[in-house]
Amino acid sequence: MLKISELTVSFPSTGSPLPVLDGVNLQIEAGEKLGLVGESGSGKTSLALTLMGLSPGEKQGSVTFQGEELLEKNNREWEQLRGGSISMVMQQSGEMLTPVLSLGKQVAEPYLKQYPGRKEEAYRRTVSLLKQVGLGESYVHRYPYTLSGGEVQRSMLAMALITEPAFLILDEPVSSLDALTREEILQLLKNLTRNCSVLVISHDLSTVARLAERTAVLYSGCLLEKAPTEELFQSPLHPYSRALVRAYPTLEGVKELQGIRGEVPSLSFRPRGCPFHPRCTQTLDRCRRERPILEEAVKNENGGQRMLACHRGGVVELLRGRDIRSCYPLDGGGNGRAGYLEAVRGVDVYLDEGEVYALVGESGSGKTTLGKSLAGVDIPNEGEVYFQEKAINKMSRKEARETRRCLQMLFQNSGEALSHRFNVHDLVAEPLVIQGIGDDLSRRKAIERSLDWVRLPRDEDFMHRYPHQLSGGELQRVALARALVMEPRVLVADEPSASLDASVQAKIIKLLLHLQNERGFALFLITHDLALAARAGDRMGVMYGGMIVEEGPSSRLVHRPLHPYTRRLLQAAPTLELPPEEPSHASISGTENSTLQSTADQLQANSSGCSYAKVCHWSSAICFREKPPLREIGSQKVACHHLSAELQTIKHR
Amino acid sequence: MHVNYWDEIKKDRLGKLGVILVTLLVTIALGAPLLAPYDPWAYVAPSLSPPCWSHPLGTNEVGQDILSELIYGTRTTLLVSVSAAIFSTTVSLVVGIMAGIFRGTLERIILRLIDVMLVIPVFLVALLVAAYFQPGMVTLIVLFSLLLWPPGTRIIWNRVLSLKNQGHFTAARQFGAGTAYLLWRHLVPELYPLLAVNFIQVVRRAVFMEAGLAFLGIFDPGAKSWGLMLHYAREFVFTGSWTWWLLPPGLAVSLTIIAFALLGYSLESALDPRMRRQTYAEN
Repeated sequence: MLKISELTVSFPSTGSPLPVLDGVNLQIEAGEKLGLVGESGSGKTSLALTLMGLSPGEKQGSVTFQGEELLEKNNREWEQLRGGSISMVMQQSGEMLTPVLSLGKQVAEPYLKQYPGRKEEAYRRTVSLLKQVGLGESYVHRYPYTLSGGEVQRSMLAMALITEPAFLILDEPVSSLDALTREEILQLLKNLTRNCSVLVISHDLSTVARLAERTAVLYSGCLLEKAPTEELFQSPLHPYSRALVRAYPTLEGVKELQGIRGEVPSLSFRPRGCPFHPRCTQTLDRCRRERPILEEAVKNENGGQRMLACHRGGVVELLRGRDIRSCYPLDGGGNGRAGYLEAVRGVDVYLDEGEVYALVGESGSGKTTLGKSLAGVDIPNEGEVYFQEKAINKMSRKEARETRRCLQMLFQNSGEALSHRFNVHDLVAEPLVIQGIGDDLSRRKAIERSLDWVRLPRDEDFMHRYPHQLSGGELQRVALARALVMEPRVLVADEPSASLDASVQAKIIKLLLHLQNERGFALFLITHDLALAARAGDRMGVMYGGMIVEEGPSSRLVHRPLHPYTRRLLQAAPTLELPPEEPSHASISGTENSTLQSTADQLQANSSGCSYAKVCHWSSAICFREKPPLREIGSQKVACHHLSAELQTIKHR
Repeated sequence: MHVNYWDEIKKDRLGKLGVILVTLLVTIALGAPLLAPYDPWAYVAPSLSPPCWSHPLGTNEVGQDILSELIYGTRTTLLVSVSAAIFSTTVSLVVGIMAGIFRGTLERIILRLIDVMLVIPVFLVALLVAAYFQPGMVTLIVLFSLLLWPPGTRIIWNRVLSLKNQGHFTAARQFGAGTAYLLWRHLVPELYPLLAVNFIQVVRRAVFMEAGLAFLGIFDPGAKSWGLMLHYAREFVFTGSWTWWLLPPGLAVSLTIIAFALLGYSLESALDPRMRRQTYAEN
């Protein structure tokens, strides 16, 4: 019905014209609800105004509405269209009503403009619409200044709908309203706009999520991604979409909010190439040169047409471990007589660009071993680790060197990981020295920059201190500075805060996450602390006895744990509140009475079946016989033979 | 664990004494030509003359000044023992690291060899071998080096095993460090205190063995050595000259061994955290 192609809108300025919209392609079918999200200044409203013929800018490209070209229309034609078959609910609607006319007159105005003289009909329609939007007949005679914000919004909606438009634009329809009013208005919008096509413009993701079937992401005048709304918010492909979703506060989310690094580019200094590249963490040379085109994305397999404008094909997968198995000889010093302890039993795990993956598990569950395999410190006995889709142990020397640079590990117990014979300068310089990067001067600069990042002093005195002169928190920062000095793409952090007291721990973790956001590296966070993992991780994996038993978005895992072990962990999660009087929930108390095994037991117990079988309340013969596969349930993955039917149904919701 | 060993030794009174004595000995050895009143090989006075002002320790059976002999003997003793210690410690270091790093068959061979060597009575072997070859200074140095490496090797091997799994090794490997870098920047520096202690122990044993062999007459007869002096003086005990001829070199040997022992013990206690805590408690 509405087709926008290669639309460029620019405003004249002293220099070259400033494009607000840059080659936008968009299509809205009859009856479709399309959302448009983006930060302020991304050109959302300019697009809306252009569609209404109200934009003063220089326009290029074409916009066709019901087969007619809109950009070539003159003012009179526009007046026919506006408030007729296209109408709009403006931002800051309070200012759109004039205080000198009664509400009824203002609501009827567009209709009278279309059909002059049909006052009876206009009045009838006004009253019925006001009723529909929840305002009584008495409101016809009231003046705008006697109305509350919600009522103004309702009457604006009535005004927009009075001509029964085929296409309705909602620009920030509920942004300035309180939560309950917003909810009512949203419901209203949903009901009243059933028959027309709608373009919902908002910076507020939840509004769009409620109203739109499909959503497009606008950034700096360019469309970056377009997808079915639910998919877009569940699994955004473009780094910018992901960042938007991350920055949005919800009640379900357990992760700390993260802003998007950098600032929205100003109109006059729009970057060449991909508009997002200065803030993107996976920029290639090509991103700086060429503008990506909105194309069909290949990544998604189940349904929905997804469009994406990214040279990298969306968020890149940086690290993948495939079927990793690691064993340690039990004793007898490697002569193979005593048998092996399977520390990691066939784990598949991946880490996306700029993502935080938190791996939780008790000590001895194989977390560190897995982390070391992923960081390339140890070579797993079986399975492969891929960095940017190349197997680490099959790389050429040069590639391996480069990978070493990109893949850093922050070791458990920084006191031990830092040689006490090196001073701070030498410690932080060590990776550079080993890799032979730079000369003394440039190394010094890199070291100072790295120390700045972790907020340590960089003066001569501090540079010459030795580890035994530093506190635990400082040591951890030095270790972090050392890992960051090479500007890695992936950081595997093994219990980065375990040995620190709570306040220092909070500082280190905040610092780590802040740096993760700013520097954009992917973080593989290994911890035994579930609360910490939930706070830090985008995704979370729960490990027990060398298996990942459950995996999924942190919020899902915390609010709806599926595996019995995850539930157990959640129950044992640290809390400052007194435990409530134990109610006798059969399902919960069932898991309570089983005692956990020792580490060796954990790993040895069940070499063929489920690691958790011995402790699990629900285990049966099959648990001891077969290792449960990791099954997808919604956005979660669980490895358990005994997922009840109730849980299975979640998939279909 | 970061310890300033020098401070630790200075805190220990006996250790301090050891340092002073060793310094004194080294000074004497280095400054022998200046300190000695006479050329120890020259005939300077009637043989077997008792102490007098010009010859404080008298002369020996061929009329050489005993004090000068004693001073030059310090040179020989220290040269032999320190060289032997340097070589044997180097062997310990290399072999110990090889065993610890490469493991496997090589390690097993080295360890069994050490076991065998530890069982052999070192002094007896030294005696036989030295008696067979021409027992010059070089022979003794080589001999001692070959005989005294096993105990140190074993300690170093042990330490390497525990060191190489420490975090900073793993970290350096993760940064892409090669074996050479790991050895030089991470492993060997960690071994310095062990090497120092081992070095001093070997010096001590070498001093004793050198004196012993020379006392039994197995040494270049022309050289000046405390052991040789004892060897010759023993034959003239009946003249009553032992107080100024036999006793001084004997005391010198004892003093040297004690000096190195004191130094060694205080270093060792500085190394061992449990022993160190005791010294802190005393202060």
